[in-house]
Amino acid sequence: MKYVDEFRNAELGRALAGEILAEVEPGRHYKLMEVCGGHTHSIYKYGIDDLLPGNVELVHGPGCPVCVLPMGRVDDGIAIAHQPGVIFTCFGDMLRIPGSDGTLQDAKAQGADVRMVYSPLDALRIAKANPDRDVVFFAIGFETTAPSTALTLKRAKAEGVTNFLCMSNHVTIVPPLRALLDSPDLRLDGFIGPGHVATVVGARPFEFIPADYGKPIVVAGFEPLDVLHAVRMILAQLAEGRCEVENQYTRVVPYEGNRRALEVLAEVFALRPHFEWRGMGFISQSGLKLSDAYAEFDAELKYSVPGVRVADPKACQCGEVLKGVIKPFECKVFGTACTPERPIGTCMVSSEGACAAYYNFGRFAREKLVV
Amino acid sequence: MRVQQVDDERGLALCEDAGGQRSSVEIALVDPVAVGDELLVHAGTAIAHGGAGAG
Repeated sequence: MKYVDEFRNAELGRALAGEILAEVEPGRHYKLMEVCGGHTHSIYKYGIDDLLPGNVELVHGPGCPVCVLPMGRVDDGIAIAHQPGVIFTCFGDMLRIPGSDGTLQDAKAQGADVRMVYSPLDALRIAKANPDRDVVFFAIGFETTAPSTALTLKRAKAEGVTNFLCMSNHVTIVPPLRALLDSPDLRLDGFIGPGHVATVVGARPFEFIPADYGKPIVVAGFEPLDVLHAVRMILAQLAEGRCEVENQYTRVVPYEGNRRALEVLAEVFALRPHFEWRGMGFISQSGLKLSDAYAEFDAELKYSVPGVRVADPKACQCGEVLKGVIKPFECKVFGTACTPERPIGTCMVSSEGACAAYYNFGRFAREKLVV
Repeated sequence: MRVQQVDDERGLALCEDAGGQRSSVEIALVDPVAVGDELLVHAGTAIAHGGAGAG
């Protein structure tokens, strides 16, 4: 398949692994962070970790939008789902994210009309088919997904659909990266940049990473050779004493991003003064709400929600996993009390979550070592 | 996803993924598109030409 097969070539992968091995300085430890759930998934699915030298460590950042959602926002969504006459729509991952008193799936079992959709456009179709009921779309995702919500809201406005509402949980990638780089907990050598977010925002917004923090970043695609190539490019920058934004994913990512998508985002959304991230607390200007021009579609203005900050369960270490401070298998409940079938934390629910990816693809290798 | 049919009037395209699954895709951010084009689609919206793959 075009754009896929050529980036999964085993021979080229081994060659790249050899180049990476030749590039590293013996005795130096390299810690590289990826900040996209798609990369986390690829790294575990294809065993990319196993192809790297022992002194090149990949850590996983807050790149999975479902994983970074705090419990309080789930509670707010459930409160709206229980309102009389509401059809509550969300992506499949969201159904199983635990709030403080259950999940949206539990709410559905209790009688709330909760429906899974594949896109906001599906939710708009449901709204048009049920004009006497409010249809609320639980919008979630980084700048990759936000344009889809924005275009659907524009469509709803143009078509005069008044029973379509949106609860926006969209977030932006730059503020949490700054928060991570300002954190004394973490020493990073470089970043694998989020390829699909960069498709929308471009590579330019990441220039602050080399400029302000002196770290290299390489925007990368999601196939195994993409990730290996990005690691190779970061190590080359470090070896040559360079520090810049590079774009490995040129077949998709323009340096300036998708101008039309950025215009739509600016029209439909506005930055929240602050937004809570699981494990990271409140981060300024990191969340998107509907702009004044689209306030009539804002579910949070129509329905009252608890809006209460809820602490994560004590056993759950999703916060540390999301900041790259610990690996999934270092969490106390990983694979025992917390599994994809019975998750305690968000990172075990979404397929892009580090814990679920590690549980599904990586745990056997570790079990073998233990045996 | 590969474009199978384009509805310019509604700004939608019928697209098919590698598994043969078909769905309507919003194309406002990447038009013009033509039958046979590969699109990168997120949550029902095409955000770029080309580049299939995970994530």
